[in-house]
Amino acid sequence: MRKAIGIILICAALILPFVFFDVLPAIGDPASAPNSHVSDYYIEHTESIANSPNMVTAVIVDFRAFDTLLETTVMFLAGVCVMIILAGVFKTDKRIIEPRSKKMKKHKKGEPVFRGINKDVTITVLQPIILVYAIYVLFHGEVSLGGGFQAGALIGTVLLLDAMAIPDKRNFPDITKGTSAMVAGIGTFIYALAGILTLVGGGFFLEYEKFPWSVAAAEQHSIGILMVEIGVTLGVAGTIVTIMNAILEKVKFDK
Amino acid sequence: MIGTLLAGKGIFFLTLLLLGIGMAGIIVCENYMKKLICMNIMQVAVIFFFLCLGQKNGGTIPVALDSVINAADYINPLPHGLMLTAIVVSLGTTGVGLALLYRIKDRYGSIEERDIIRRGKDKQ
Amino acid sequence: MTKNLPILIVLLPLIAAQLCLLLSKIHRHVGRWIVITAVSASLVMSVIQLLEVIDKGPVHYYFGNYKAPIGIEFSIDTVNAMILILICILGLLTCLFSNEFNQVSDETIIGGMNTVMCLLITGLLGMTSTGDVFNLYVFLEITSLSAYCLIAMGGNKGVVAAYRYMLVGTIAATLYLLGVAVLYANTGTLNMADMSEILNDGEYDDAMLLAMVLFVASFGIKMALFPFHGWQPAAYTHADTSARPLIAGAMGKIPAYAMFRYLFCVYGTDFKYFDYFLKVLGVLSVCAMLYGSIRAIGQKDMRKLLAYSSVAQIGYISLGFAIGTPVALAGAFLHMFGHAFMKAGLFFCVGAIVYRYGKFSLDDVGRIYKKMPLTCGLLVIAALSMVGIPPAVGFFSKWYLGLAAAKQADWIYLAVLVVSSLLNAVYFFRLIEQFFINEDRNLSQIKERGRIEASAWILIPVVVCFVAILALGLCNVKIVNILLMTLGEVGLC
Repeated sequence: MRKAIGIILICAALILPFVFFDVLPAIGDPASAPNSHVSDYYIEHTESIANSPNMVTAVIVDFRAFDTLLETTVMFLAGVCVMIILAGVFKTDKRIIEPRSKKMKKHKKGEPVFRGINKDVTITVLQPIILVYAIYVLFHGEVSLGGGFQAGALIGTVLLLDAMAIPDKRNFPDITKGTSAMVAGIGTFIYALAGILTLVGGGFFLEYEKFPWSVAAAEQHSIGILMVEIGVTLGVAGTIVTIMNAILEKVKFDK
Repeated sequence: MIGTLLAGKGIFFLTLLLLGIGMAGIIVCENYMKKLICMNIMQVAVIFFFLCLGQKNGGTIPVALDSVINAADYINPLPHGLMLTAIVVSLGTTGVGLALLYRIKDRYGSIEERDIIRRGKDKQ
Repeated sequence: MTKNLPILIVLLPLIAAQLCLLLSKIHRHVGRWIVITAVSASLVMSVIQLLEVIDKGPVHYYFGNYKAPIGIEFSIDTVNAMILILICILGLLTCLFSNEFNQVSDETIIGGMNTVMCLLITGLLGMTSTGDVFNLYVFLEITSLSAYCLIAMGGNKGVVAAYRYMLVGTIAATLYLLGVAVLYANTGTLNMADMSEILNDGEYDDAMLLAMVLFVASFGIKMALFPFHGWQPAAYTHADTSARPLIAGAMGKIPAYAMFRYLFCVYGTDFKYFDYFLKVLGVLSVCAMLYGSIRAIGQKDMRKLLAYSSVAQIGYISLGFAIGTPVALAGAFLHMFGHAFMKAGLFFCVGAIVYRYGKFSLDDVGRIYKKMPLTCGLLVIAALSMVGIPPAVGFFSKWYLGLAAAKQADWIYLAVLVVSSLLNAVYFFRLIEQFFINEDRNLSQIKERGRIEASAWILIPVVVCFVAILALGLCNVKIVNILLMTLGEVGLC
């Protein structure tokens, strides 16, 4: 009863001001403030300035690129945090994954844990396709939907599938958690490097037109966006693998 | 009157309701995992709230077509870009939260608030 | 080159953090030295920045050369630049201090800790210098995430404290984002200066009221203002010893600065409900000053005593905002600088004691001054400064606050200021009594670590804090003059 009252009070407290004050614009109103002040500039100048038809990509990696640098840093930071927090867990021996209730069948020792995954199909068919698709998403991100985050997630997925299909043996070169966190750091550094190069060229931070090599302005923007996307991809993929490694290290599979 | 209000602003109130549920859940639930789930609900609610501001009647997705260059024909790309950042941030927070829960379960043997407080006192 | 200073101050620690893990592969302590180098370079540049700002007025830096409402902006004024210096000094000292701790783990853990510490400094620097509301949110999240991690490294209880802080901190970040959404829905911009212009032109009082309530709640949680302080004592107590001075010294202050920025710079004194917010802040800070001091009296654990004392000291800062005149604001910022060094210095001392003897409880450290004279000397100076004895900085900041309160005829604020200072005296003299007068305990060192005092890496921060407290106190007129260059325009007439 007390709980119910609490919930009702909180919801009322949150919603009532918005009802009475009438402070929000109607949804979909083309004349409302968020749809008219700066957004018109973004929509009309995306093609001419950023040389990218995808406006969301243009906003996040060109007009407001500094936010995205920090966003990638947040990913990297989360990976490092998970790594060093989980490093404090010591008792690996006791952590065996086993069925929760006794009714479920306990699998025999010596068999892979995740028997639902077919090794042959996963490794020979799925992984190459996912990798190719990841690279397509990476390089096509500035033109259509997609981009660095998605590509990074896909590459991370490939390594994750690998670890799930054969828990104790890896098909890919074995990446320890220190190495993968390092890769994530290098990825975010590549992003920052794009900014440093523009500083070297005499411009502001992430002002792509001031790269120290001379090509047309539109191409400079494309090069900048591509560099940023590659950095983001490495950062995200590294983070995913870091988190996976940090968890796998603490789990003992029964074989 | 209520009809126009709901048509114009109904979704705002639904997202705020979601926010309220999440916030109440964080306060009321005693299981730390449930608190984490409620935290996620709360973050998603604000993301929806922000995305409502990007909607524009008669607009299409913000990928430029060759034939159309009028600003009124595309929805506002800025909230989408911002919320991409917010989603990644919430992902990072959730990841760190899960790692912390793993440690808590490892050290205290439980993720119920009552047990943790009791065992914390025992250790002193 | 000077035009790029605002970004370089933030960028160098960021790059150091990104490359820290890579360089830790070479040797496990290389990463730490990279971080120290980067932060000291930032310190030098922020000093240059301050001189430039004093000379030429506020500096604006536009990312990607997109002008104000389109791109992201860094705006630096004199207050900003001073806080940047403060963060750099505290960060540098904490990095040096952490040299002695955590020597034995493998390279990924040490490199990871340095990365997280460096990103905490980056986040604080960015929150201070940004002029974009959404950029502030991202920096806020970087700060919070690294703080969760550093608190969680403090052992079993640290993990639970970090988890609770994470839940509360996420509520704060979400409320902040909601407030940003309300303002964005009404103005359509994310730039602070542009937003301020639009808000002052039109009739947005209701939306501004709603957004400000959300901002006060969110920054109140982050800075541990009185009713929202629940997470703070446990988090400060159980944080990792090597990172605690930075967390306690700088982390609570920057959200306070952000709140100041919203209340005074974005909204301005023309805001219809401005006086109500000052009243509310005043009531909260009065409660905080009394409650924190009273709770601190009862504590046995040194760390917890200092943590509750922080609750009270944050109250002084927000009291300065609540009075609202330029002199009061200058007093609040002087207290912010002073308290950062005092609290960090006290936690450095506690860290030194923990490092040598592993004791936290007040009952265990009788007459420790014979064993660690220099550390105890600083502790006395810092404690006296907290109480408000001249010529330490604590006296002058309280003097400015009291002066402004008397001028506005807010006698209640003045009375609470005096009462809270007396309560400060009660618990700090308890601390001093334990350190100097009570019976000798036979403390045994954890390891044989030098005959007297701790090692140089621990003593350098202790001595620097000692110098900074006295220097800030002696140069207070100069500092307040620099602060008033900006504050004179924003405060109540």
